Order: sequence, then structure tokens, then C-alpha cells
Amino acid sequence: MFCTNCGSPVKDTDNFCTACGSSMNTPVRTPPPDEPAAPVQYSQPVQHSQPAQPAPRAPEPPVASSGNPAVCPWCGADISADQLSCPRCGATVKAPSIRSESGWAELPGRKDMAKLQFGNSFCQIEGTYVPVADVNLAASDSIYFTHHVLLWKDPQLNITTMPLASGWKRMFAGLPLIMMQAQGPGHIAFSRDAPGEMIALPLQPGEEVDVREHLFMLATSNVVYDWFSTNVWYTTQADNDKETHYPVGMFMDRFSAPQAPGLLLLHAAGNVFVRDLAPGETMLVKPTALIFKDPTVEMQLHFEHPRAGFSLGFGWGASSWNNRYYWLRLWGPGRIAVQSVFDRMEGESRYLSNCSPATEQRW
Amino acid sequence: MNPAAPLERIQCQWCQSMNEKTALTCRACGAPLDIRNLVSESGWREAPRLRDMTEFQFSSSTCQVEGEIVPVAEIHLGANDSVFFEHHIMLWKDDNVPLSVLQLPGGLKRAFAGMPFIISVATGPGRIAFSRDATGELVVLPLHPGMEIDVREHAFVLASHQIDYSFVRVKGLANILFGGQGMFMDRFVTTNSPGLVLLHGYGNVFERKLKAGESIMVEPGAFLYKDSSVHMDVEFQKLGTGFFGGTNMSLARMTGPGRIGIQSMYVHHRTE
Repeated sequence: MFCTNCGSPVKDTDNFCTACGSSMNTPVRTPPPDEPAAPVQYSQPVQHSQPAQPAPRAPEPPVASSGNPAVCPWCGADISADQLSCPRCGATVKAPSIRSESGWAELPGRKDMAKLQFGNSFCQIEGTYVPVADVNLAASDSIYFTHHVLLWKDPQLNITTMPLASGWKRMFAGLPLIMMQAQGPGHIAFSRDAPGEMIALPLQPGEEVDVREHLFMLATSNVVYDWFSTNVWYTTQADNDKETHYPVGMFMDRFSAPQAPGLLLLHAAGNVFVRDLAPGETMLVKPTALIFKDPTVEMQLHFEHPRAGFSLGFGWGASSWNNRYYWLRLWGPGRIAVQSVFDRMEGESRYLSNCSPATEQRW
Repeated sequence: MNPAAPLERIQCQWCQSMNEKTALTCRACGAPLDIRNLVSESGWREAPRLRDMTEFQFSSSTCQVEGEIVPVAEIHLGANDSVFFEHHIMLWKDDNVPLSVLQLPGGLKRAFAGMPFIISVATGPGRIAFSRDATGELVVLPLHPGMEIDVREHAFVLASHQIDYSFVRVKGLANILFGGQGMFMDRFVTTNSPGLVLLHGYGNVFERKLKAGESIMVEPGAFLYKDSSVHMDVEFQKLGTGFFGGTNMSLARMTGPGRIGIQSMYVHHRTE
């Protein structure tokens, strides 16, 4: 292990660092003496007091003022009283949950170097702009990841490609998507190529989550990976050029943990916002902003035509484009998450010739 | 006069410079002296997070670091002091600061984003400021006499005039997304006088000291800098999927002794 103060290597049995003299007895995550559980000073979420507003049905986090909560507000894991961050997802436990008046909850804060556990392995999340998932894999554990997220690894740690049924269908940046597997013991670390947040999704047996493609970083080997066709597409036509676009990707990843609990790590660009949709409650989101959803949440295209007092179109086909805005309609019940940085959609301004089932609104 | 007073110094754990006991930031690299180092259990140390508006000195000039998401390095050059840099990262300057171009053997063969690769020199007195094109951290590396470091291409923001500059090409060192065509590595050497190198790492920057013979495999896109005593080999990992011929993934094996710095976000500037 290494000294948490100066980084020098120290033996596991050492009480003090031989290089700087820091005590090794203090557990890494033990904080300085507890601040009194007074009202939190920083950016207290605005709890809406206007009863007129339909209250969003997001799970209410336990109130932090009455000592330690028993469950993690983010992943629901049991937390013992002396823990300040959740051992399963790394979320800071006492931080106030930050929720907009409209009901979107921000990803819970996480201290730099927060540590989470899965199986006998640990994962430390380092850095704040483009966080790194630094995994200390135990000999009994293995994880899988996509090839382009690897940052560094111990030389002796073995990585292999993972056979995927019909994997050739999946592409990333023009190259086939290669799923790789790392078997402990050893260290291996991952990061992606955009400033953003790391999302830890511990999956309980029976839980499933759908993730938009290429946001996946890694999963423990007991997480089952599958994908399905999104059936969200539209076709544009310019002269004889016909092109089909998939605003949420042609495929969506589905992760589940059928038997044992597993861990899924995602990386989203910018900030992450989550909300729970009640049965039948709908939300229109930018298709490329969707991160994940519960499988119970359904989705389809939605078009909006803003009203204009003059004709925006010209020539034939003007009516098929006609200043149209593209949305992804999501309806509950279930949880959805969006990211604040998203890609521009392809073909948005071209003439639309065909599309998957969609709803429409003309203002 | 208290004879013990000069001994009451604190050493900066980032650049090893000695500072007055009351200092809150290191005068040579700007690292906060009152904040615990952040070291992961695997031994990577986060580069010091420079406080907004931190100021530090090199030769007869000062540098102030402004902003945090995409930090700006603002240099107040002393008379006859100069710094060199790549022209595309200049943010603003006083209009009376003269600019010249560094003569580089072979430099015109190298290109950046379609522009010729030119190292420019700004000479004091006056002010000039630099920033780069994405979220990241400024890494301040004061070089003591007789040091040599290698830096990923286009990652250096500036270096002071005491430093000798050259570059080498490393074949095969690139992510498979970019065809593994390799990249250049800038080399900075000090001889008799100390100097300063300022880098910009994309995302977060981490440093680790490798012992002699100790090695670590690093994704080529993550490599940011290393002491020249650290040996770099490009190794290939065969990726077979059964459906297509297989691709090679290159990883850089870094072997100590020395420091190695990595960045957590990969931005590829196409090497030409």
C-alpha cells in the first residue's frame, strides 16, 4: 500500500510512513472530527413550498440532520453509523441532496478519492473534471469494459477480449466495439474523453437498467450484458440520398444482475440529473442527452411544430420538414437520467421521409 | 537575528522547493502547502490543484494562474526574461511584448492542425497569457539544473528560456482509434541554471514515482510527461474477436526509475 500523505510505498504492517512519518492507522476515509449536524451551509436545495406544484415522486433522501441515515440516498445500500461515504457507490452520505424545483435530482456529491467496494475488490474514484475509476481487483473478481476506456494497468494484470454474440453489429467511432475482460489480482484504471461525472449503479439481483450506448465504462462479471434495438429512428432524404438516423443509437445496452449483486459504472458528459417518473408521467428529453432508464420506462419519438405566422418551407416537401423539433418522449413508471452535455443530432434540419412510431404536436 | 530561523522551512512536496514557514503556496510551483496530498491507494498522486489566482516565480518573472475549469497562465515577464511556447495557445498579450521564432532543426516538417509547427518566444518586460482548448489542469514543473523531462506533444504551455528544447518521434504510440501512427515527444533539458516548464493536462493529472525496474502499462492517450530516466516501450496487445482480422491495441510500458505523469482525458491532435 501507499502513504496517503506523501505517496511513498509502505508495508501493510507499518504503523507509520517511513518517508514522511504520517500515521498509517487512520483509515483512509476517516474524516476529521464530525462537524455538528447543523443545517448545511452550502447550496441547500430549494425545497418547494408552493403546494400547487405537482410534487415529483423521486425517492426522498433521508434527512441528514438527525445523524447518519441507515441507507444511501443514491443506491439504497445499508450504511453503518461511522461511514461518511456509501461503500457501494461512493456517494457522500451526509451531503444534502440537490434537487431542482422541477424535480430533477443531481448526482450525489462524491469526495475526491472516494472508495467503493464490490466483491472483494475496491474501486477508487479520482479526480473531479474527468474522473478516473481506479480498480484494485481481487484474485477472485473480474470485470469487463470497452477497449477505449482503459487508462493504465499493472503489467502483470491480464486483459483478454470477451466473445460477444453478434458483436460485429456494434461500432464505436468507426471501429468495432470490443469488450475486454480483466481478471484480478492487480490494479487497472479507466477514464473517458469528456469532462463529466462517473455514475456508480450497484445492481441488486433482479434489477435491470437500460443505458444509451457508449456511456458504459465497466461492469463486474456477474452483471449480464445484453442489448436491444431501440426502434427510435427517422429517415431523411435529400435528392436521392436516403439516410436513416438513430438519435438514441441503433441499440441500447441492457444490464442486469440475475443472481448476485453487481456494479455498473457509467460516465456521462457534463452534469447528471435523475428523476423518477410516475406511471404514465411523461417527459420530453433531448434524445442524445438520455443516459439510462429503467426498462419499465418506454420511449418513442415526438415532434413539435412551433407556430409561425408565415411559411418557413418552400418547394415540395416543405410540409414534411416545416420547422420541426425532435424529442424523445419517455413515460413512466421508472427512473430516467440525463446528461447536460449532448451531441448534436444528425439530419435534424433535413427533410424527413419516414420515422419510427411518433407523436406530434402542432402549436 | 535568530540563527535557527533559516532552518524553519517547509519543503513543497510537489517540486521539492524550500518555502518560508508561513507560506501557504509554494513560491516555485504554486502548489498549496496547507492541503494534504491526494494519493490513491494504487500510488498515483493528484497534481496539486492550484488555487485560483495563485502566483509563483521563475527567474525574474511571475506567473499567475487564473480560473479553474480551463485555467489561464498569465506571465509577467521580467526585463530580458523570455519564455517559449506553441503559438496557438496565446490568449492575450501586451502589445509591446516582442515575439520571435525559435530556430528548430526539422521543425517545419512537423505540423499542428494543418499549421506549421512553430515555437515562438516572448521577451520581457511585459505580460502575456496562455490557455488551451479544453477542461484540464496546469502542471507546474520547476526543473532543477541537470534535469531532463519528456512531454507528450502539444501538451506544454510554455518553458522558460534557460531550458533546451528538442523533440523525438515515437512510433506506434497512439490509441487504436487513431491507427497507432505514433506521436512526437517534446524534450526539455536544463544544464546549469534552473528553469520552468508549464504543461496542460486534459482532465485530471496524476503523477507516480516509479522505482528502478518498476513498470506500469499506460494507454498512449494518457501519457503526459516523464523523467527521461523512465524508459518507454510500446507494446501491442492483440485484440481478436473472431469476426474480423483482429486489431492491435498499443500500450506504453513505462519502466522506472523516475516520475511519470498521466492525464485522464484523451484528446488526440493528429500528428503529421
